[in-house]
Amino acid sequence: MDLDADGNLDLLSGSYSRHGQDMAGLFQVLWGEKGGQFRAAKALSGSDGKELLLPAGDSDEVDVERICTRPFAADLDGDGKLDLVAGNFAGTFAFFHGEGAGQFAPNASWLEAEGKRLSVAAHGDPFLIDWDADGDLDLLSGSAQGGAFLFANVGTRTAPRFAARKTLVEPAGEGAGPDELGDGHLQGPGGSTRVWCDDLNGDGKLDLLLGDNVTLYHAAAGVEPSVAQAKLGEWRAALARLMEQQADDWNERYEELEKARDAFVTEDRTGFVWVLYKK
Amino acid sequence: MSNMLFLVLCSLQDPHFAEPVRLRAGEAYVRVESPGWAAPCWHDVDGDGKKDLVVGQFHDGKMRVYRSLGEGKLAEGRWLEAGGKVAQVPGVW
Repeated sequence: MDLDADGNLDLLSGSYSRHGQDMAGLFQVLWGEKGGQFRAAKALSGSDGKELLLPAGDSDEVDVERICTRPFAADLDGDGKLDLVAGNFAGTFAFFHGEGAGQFAPNASWLEAEGKRLSVAAHGDPFLIDWDADGDLDLLSGSAQGGAFLFANVGTRTAPRFAARKTLVEPAGEGAGPDELGDGHLQGPGGSTRVWCDDLNGDGKLDLLLGDNVTLYHAAAGVEPSVAQAKLGEWRAALARLMEQQADDWNERYEELEKARDAFVTEDRTGFVWVLYKK
Repeated sequence: MSNMLFLVLCSLQDPHFAEPVRLRAGEAYVRVESPGWAAPCWHDVDGDGKKDLVVGQFHDGKMRVYRSLGEGKLAEGRWLEAGGKVAQVPGVW
């Protein structure tokens, strides 16, 4: 999006931490230049000149509400200026009012439905679009558990009001996956989804792009795939038993189990991108 | 998760969507570096009138650009650059 209305495309991202400071993510912008180039990432400041941050929560430990998973810029209140809706680790969504030309109010409010904060299981991933074609912006989100969710705007273009969460794509679960080697068994998005929405095939309907996070396994060098697959099943069963136990040496036993797995499979952590075309 | 549970979850998917399609660029699937977490966006970044795929990832906060070739095809990816270097979003962790 063109965040500062200078005619150049800008790239906006969340971030998890400020190195050397309390765990709280800054809003990072790669400002666009003429010719389609980008400048190196720079933290976005609010209209008070201070780096923009999500509102502090009430945790004494790591403040997951301040960890900025994703900010999304759109004119949510219909005043002609881009606003920001930012997700966080807690799965809630903060609204920063836009003041025009890349300026945003430093203080945010939480998006709510019937007095409760809108939320997904964890790791909010806001995307604003008129999903139901009624003239206002609705909120979509992925989550740490995967899936895709809709908070329909049941207010107006200038006075948004959100309905409760509706599931568009059932979450697969965090770290979910069957006991099969390789990636041929993958049928759809895994956990930790990140959503984008557009008419991808030009049929006039809004489709979903979902990024995910999966762990794949491949047979270790010198191990027959059928043997590796059988051992992986046994290993998962052993892990499930361990997860149900409480023992003083639990961590040591977990580490031993992890190490034992390396004898028959290699771990391959990655993420893919899926398209879900609207029928 | 068992295969049976996986199938049950797939069957619960909104019937308004077709079966998910995993995106490819050329012959290979679009995928991110370890430890994963793919974050896609769809926008015309090269100004040719066709929307392109940009995929952010956890490792080093880098982003990969897959240019649209038309007819639903994507070119092989290249790292997004900023200031003449591979762009990185700081503080991803």
